[in-house]
Amino acid sequence: MKFLSREALQTWLDRLANEATLIAPRLVDGILLYRSVSSARDIVLDYTRPKMSAKEVVLPSSEPILLVEKRGQDVNLSEPPTGEQVVFGLRPCDAHGIAVLDAVFVAQEPVDLNYARRRNATTLVGLSCPQMWEDCFCTSMGGMPNDPSHVDVLLTEVENGYAVTTVTDKGRTLVAELSLQEMEYEPPESVLNEAELVLTQEHWPDRFADQYWDLLAERCLECRMCAYLCPVCRCFDVRDQVVQQGISYSKYDRLRCWDSCTGANYRMVAGGHNPRATKGQRLRNRFFCKFHYFPVEYGLSGCVGCGRCIEACPVNIDIVEVLRDMSRASNAPQTSKVSPNAETGITA
Amino acid sequence: MTVNGPGSPNQDPMHPYLGRLVGKKDLGTDIKLFQIEMVESTGKARFADYQPGQFAFVSALGIGEAPFGIASTPSESGVLEFGIAKVGNVTAALHSLEVGEIVGVRGPLGNGFPMDEMKDKSIYVLGGGIGGAPLRPVIRDILDQRSDYGHLTILWAARNPSLLVFTDEYELWRSAPDTELHVTVDEGDEEWRAAGGNEGLITHLLETIAPSPEDAVTITCGPPAMLHFVTLTLNELGFSLDQMWTTLEARMHCGIGKCGRCNMGEKFVCVDGPVFRQDEVSGFLESYL
Repeated sequence: MKFLSREALQTWLDRLANEATLIAPRLVDGILLYRSVSSARDIVLDYTRPKMSAKEVVLPSSEPILLVEKRGQDVNLSEPPTGEQVVFGLRPCDAHGIAVLDAVFVAQEPVDLNYARRRNATTLVGLSCPQMWEDCFCTSMGGMPNDPSHVDVLLTEVENGYAVTTVTDKGRTLVAELSLQEMEYEPPESVLNEAELVLTQEHWPDRFADQYWDLLAERCLECRMCAYLCPVCRCFDVRDQVVQQGISYSKYDRLRCWDSCTGANYRMVAGGHNPRATKGQRLRNRFFCKFHYFPVEYGLSGCVGCGRCIEACPVNIDIVEVLRDMSRASNAPQTSKVSPNAETGITA
Repeated sequence: MTVNGPGSPNQDPMHPYLGRLVGKKDLGTDIKLFQIEMVESTGKARFADYQPGQFAFVSALGIGEAPFGIASTPSESGVLEFGIAKVGNVTAALHSLEVGEIVGVRGPLGNGFPMDEMKDKSIYVLGGGIGGAPLRPVIRDILDQRSDYGHLTILWAARNPSLLVFTDEYELWRSAPDTELHVTVDEGDEEWRAAGGNEGLITHLLETIAPSPEDAVTITCGPPAMLHFVTLTLNELGFSLDQMWTTLEARMHCGIGKCGRCNMGEKFVCVDGPVFRQDEVSGFLESYL
């Protein structure tokens, strides 16, 4: 185990901010966010979790993925350049979220090059949580407050400084320039919340047609905040934006923008048909995506247990409560609502 | 993590290739056939081969892109064809383009119909409205290799006569060996009735023809309600779900399983489909209806 003093950390962060884009927890009008910083002074080191996840670092809320230039009949298409970036102070749950995004965008063919380019140019420096905070349930989703699995380097606060765990080659390269001291003791373990949830997958498919989802959705405002704050929700829309439009020269950006499956017209096709026309169907998709589709498709949980959606939901839709409810077979009568598929599913 | 090439657009599945609009023809009311020739060698190579049932994104650059079933076959000298109805922003922009203008094309995407599995079988092709467009390459493929397949029956339908697509190919289809064509519209006009055209739903036409399920497969594309009722009718006629193929429509923004838009339960229409066998569709948790 290596040790980095507080003073040495400040010097290092200042250097990183000069050499590359450094993203770290910073207060923006009183709200803590992962944002670019110009010096170590801007960085908050004592915090719970930033208001938004670090998803933006690899999948910005809105970004050009294609640049279109038209000169008369000549059209040129190109991809925007990507610069090196270092993320400092990443909470392990947020790093876990990026690992899940990697599974979707990179591990699963075909590779999304736009994502992969940025991801390759990104180095992740994690900072262990000394404890699990209110609403945190990372340990139920395969994480730990001091989990080094998904970062390149992990720092854990100890007296007068930080214990440094280098995890990947990228991390080793990043800390190579530091003169780290040997540390004689192990950093303290993080304080965990109450017992883990006991979760089971088995009831999910059976409860697809359950009334439960319509009842839950009665209070959903479709504000989509849960999806935007989520480290894993990755649904996006693609649309073109005019940058400049003239007779002989025009320029457009093709933008990729966050979207959410709870939005009313999310699945509506141009002809007007909407196979997910009710709020209950849409909210159900959000939870099935995380806890049934992700495990089936990627062998992963689509939730990392950061608790942001619980904190942010204005009508107290609580993902942990949903997990608990889905861990048992329904005790409500099955069901007033029959999936239309049940009809088409005629037996041969 | 491996990335194929240093950001080479040739391998970027979100990168469109430039195409020139070389032809634009009316197919029906607010439905046009777009003929596109790829401009760059990379784009030409990409579309040198594709399967009936595959789709591509067509861009009206500066407005956006949308997915369309490819209506041509690769045998047609490098010209890609799409039957596109004017229903939204992108399609309206495409409809307003002049021949000679540049579009973007991204693909081919999706799985396509398993034509090999259909060889030697009697084939029933059921197309409803603009849903006929992705079935045209199926018909062409069969007619191009006529002796490889059994009897071909085409059931062609639309809400009204002005929405029937590829009507100028009826004679070609009718005159092909071992091939028959039946056309119906939900509601005909005077001219339609005077000519003795069929009126009624495609399911009614299907009941009238009453195909035998023996050594037969069906290929259906049309609006969700049509798919649903065609499936029920075929089942009544003795077809099992594993004899029925369909291609599904879904809103999508990437076509490569990333944007999350087109899932039906744990399946993505874009990468797991758009072509599915009906027993798969019925096994999905979520309905397309």
